[in-house]
Amino acid sequence: MTMSSTALDGVRVLDLTSEMGHYTGKLLADLGADVIKVEPVGGDPSRARPPYYHGRPGRENSLRFWYFNANKRSVTVDLGQFDGRWLFGQLVHTADIVIESWTAAERSELIRQGVDPDAYLEAQPALIWASVTGFGLDGPKSGWEVTDLIAQAASGIATLAGYPDGAPMRIAGNQAYIVAGISAAQGALLALLHAEASGVGQRVETSIQEALSICQETAHLQWDFQGASRERIGEQHRMPGIGTYQTLDGYIYSAVGIPGFGAPWSELIRWMDEEGQAEDLIEPQYAETFAAFNMRALGAQEELARLAPIMNRAQDVLSRFYAGKTSVDAYEQGQARRLLIGMVASPADIADDHHLEARHWWLEFDQPTTLGAPDAPLKFPGPPYRLSATPTSIRRPAPQIGEHNQEVWVDEVGIPAADLIAFAGEGAV
Amino acid sequence: MTSANGARPLDGVRVADFSWFGAGPIAGRTLADFGADVIRIESEARVDGLRLGQPQKPGKSGYNVCAYFNNFNADKRSFLLNMSAEGSRDVALRLIERSDIFLSNLTPRVIQRWGLTYEELCEVKPDIIAAYQPMQGLSGPHRDFLGFGAVLTPTTGISYLSGDPERKPVGVGTNYPDYAVNPGHTVLAILAALRHRRRTGQGQRIELAQIESVAATMGPALLDYTTNGVTQNRKGNQSSWMCPHGVYRCADDRSGRERWIAIAVGNDAQWESLCRLAESADFTVDDRFSTLLGRRRNEAALNESLSAWTASLDAASLAMQLQAVGVAASLVQDAEDMCEHDTHLAERRYYAYLDHPETGISLYDGPIVSLQRTPGYLASPAPLFGEHTFEIATDVLGYSAEEVAELTAAGVLS
Repeated sequence: MTMSSTALDGVRVLDLTSEMGHYTGKLLADLGADVIKVEPVGGDPSRARPPYYHGRPGRENSLRFWYFNANKRSVTVDLGQFDGRWLFGQLVHTADIVIESWTAAERSELIRQGVDPDAYLEAQPALIWASVTGFGLDGPKSGWEVTDLIAQAASGIATLAGYPDGAPMRIAGNQAYIVAGISAAQGALLALLHAEASGVGQRVETSIQEALSICQETAHLQWDFQGASRERIGEQHRMPGIGTYQTLDGYIYSAVGIPGFGAPWSELIRWMDEEGQAEDLIEPQYAETFAAFNMRALGAQEELARLAPIMNRAQDVLSRFYAGKTSVDAYEQGQARRLLIGMVASPADIADDHHLEARHWWLEFDQPTTLGAPDAPLKFPGPPYRLSATPTSIRRPAPQIGEHNQEVWVDEVGIPAADLIAFAGEGAV
Repeated sequence: MTSANGARPLDGVRVADFSWFGAGPIAGRTLADFGADVIRIESEARVDGLRLGQPQKPGKSGYNVCAYFNNFNADKRSFLLNMSAEGSRDVALRLIERSDIFLSNLTPRVIQRWGLTYEELCEVKPDIIAAYQPMQGLSGPHRDFLGFGAVLTPTTGISYLSGDPERKPVGVGTNYPDYAVNPGHTVLAILAALRHRRRTGQGQRIELAQIESVAATMGPALLDYTTNGVTQNRKGNQSSWMCPHGVYRCADDRSGRERWIAIAVGNDAQWESLCRLAESADFTVDDRFSTLLGRRRNEAALNESLSAWTASLDAASLAMQLQAVGVAASLVQDAEDMCEHDTHLAERRYYAYLDHPETGISLYDGPIVSLQRTPGYLASPAPLFGEHTFEIATDVLGYSAEEVAELTAAGVLS
């Protein structure tokens, strides 16, 4: 029995994606797959995306590209040329999984030229071909252009985010692309399990709109049951203790008063009282009210109306209390009392978080740049999960454009070196 | 999506699902959609809060009528096991012994109290794949911190970076990380571990610290700080390179509902297409906007001018017209649009409508990805509370009817 050190040992993935699907390849690569990024001759357009190393634009300096493409190797090939397509076909023969995120226009053009997923599948029955698209491969919107913003708008989540008096809002971090990437990676591994058991591969299809739908939370379910759409509520919470509060140096999110989640409001009052800031909230006439001060108890409209004065008072006192603390103190002291509080953390706060540090979440490695040798190893965000027997790892930095042409085309695919020079000369690689 | 038949990739895989609320059960739901036999362990002493949540079927009450719970638990079986009763752990271990995957988003404290750590599971099932989803991990100074999606959004930088720069961060309106990021990462790790086990016979522990799983989605902003010392800020719907890029108010519909359109212009050709469509709108003849640089430098004025143009237009038709000339755009859809008017989703049959004994024909999200030959599907609606306790106790665990009665009398099963 062979024990492999990575979960996806021996799996080769061709990654033809750009921004929309590059997280899929990263997830598979970090789990141990050999992921080869197949780029157009000038490089994947996502190499141009900010932010950049030292703020200096350049195709080898994009931090965004580095993050999503570490662990991948890079070859270049021009699928617009006959020879490029032939070379690509040779490479597909060595692959288990192909991932692409072509637009509808690119897809029909490539298929017309013979870069046809179904044809590869026919020739190579165990192949898995995963497509990441905004709206899927069929249906009236399958030809639509998509970006992260458009996908968030089309899937019912942007309407729920943001300020009630403002516009629907995009969630930060290209989350539509992230969710698409996770969906396609799940699909690819489901198909791989099936292919390795049966010898039968297949097409896998992610529609970002569909992958995001469940993030509507209850909005679509409420429509189904009650025929009413959920509003964008922003800060208009039903009770004090739940919402974003200003602190000495930023903000915290407080979620005290949700039954079943953490300590109740009475603990919040005890905390304020211990620090001499509970003001009149500790007076006996309020004790009964605060003993059952939670979202469920306050759910009824009459109850809300009856308690309005004390709720306003509690909101004032609590706001003053939080405003006198730093965000880290409010977060850590509150959590120590099992009060549900989260710090509104900036990237700097996350980088300085001593918990993540103690867990050795961050990775460090050298990333070559075109601006000379790096001045320090990259402090690189760690993985989403830890597998005890097959840990994820970063084995190589993000590749430069075509860095592995020689290694892949000549050494692994078996193209004679002289032929590769000829292909390069005509611009096919 | 497809008819309820046919082989699925996880046929024959059994999951002991000790999770509750969102991030855990949704992971179990995906495994179930693709063929796994997922057994949800529930108890009267610790009812999943979502069974008591909203929305509930109008005119109905009880544990079985909340769509929030039902949507995440279709295709599973419900098994009532009271883990605080004497003898319950033996039943739990007997189930785990007969399972391939253990799934839990309980806190580390509860895992220890119930004796369900990975090492303890290995004593009865050495090749178990045990997936834990603690909020901040199984170790570290914040190990016992509590949370759920609405707390993770702030602690991972999503809140800080979402919204308007001049206003306070208000979060994203939902418990966003609970629904796709954390369950999706969990399923992915489980599938990778399943492959490893099929090849080597070795199981393993998966530790998905939810804070790490969400922070991993924020890589570029984190790297900008760790390499450049730059703390990015909120920038509303603005893009760092596309322009115009935003959400614009359109004409209200007949019932007075606000309508908005999202537009993302990635290059000059798309901008010119938009201008041709807009004919004589002010921005089409304003030289400031003819180049990307000009548009970016005058973005506020551009957005104002665009809004003046969209204000009287129908958002859905405008999105179709823009898409027809190659400009990325969409109506900002709400639930009514998603469920009633999106002919694309309807044609693709994304939503499943399942007949549930208490809620009737009800909407469920479809599988998160489409597989051509072995598609996922929803074979059954959410289970009623405790619907399958007896059949699981006898068929899976091998107890006799008398033993089930004894366990029930002892308060272990119900």
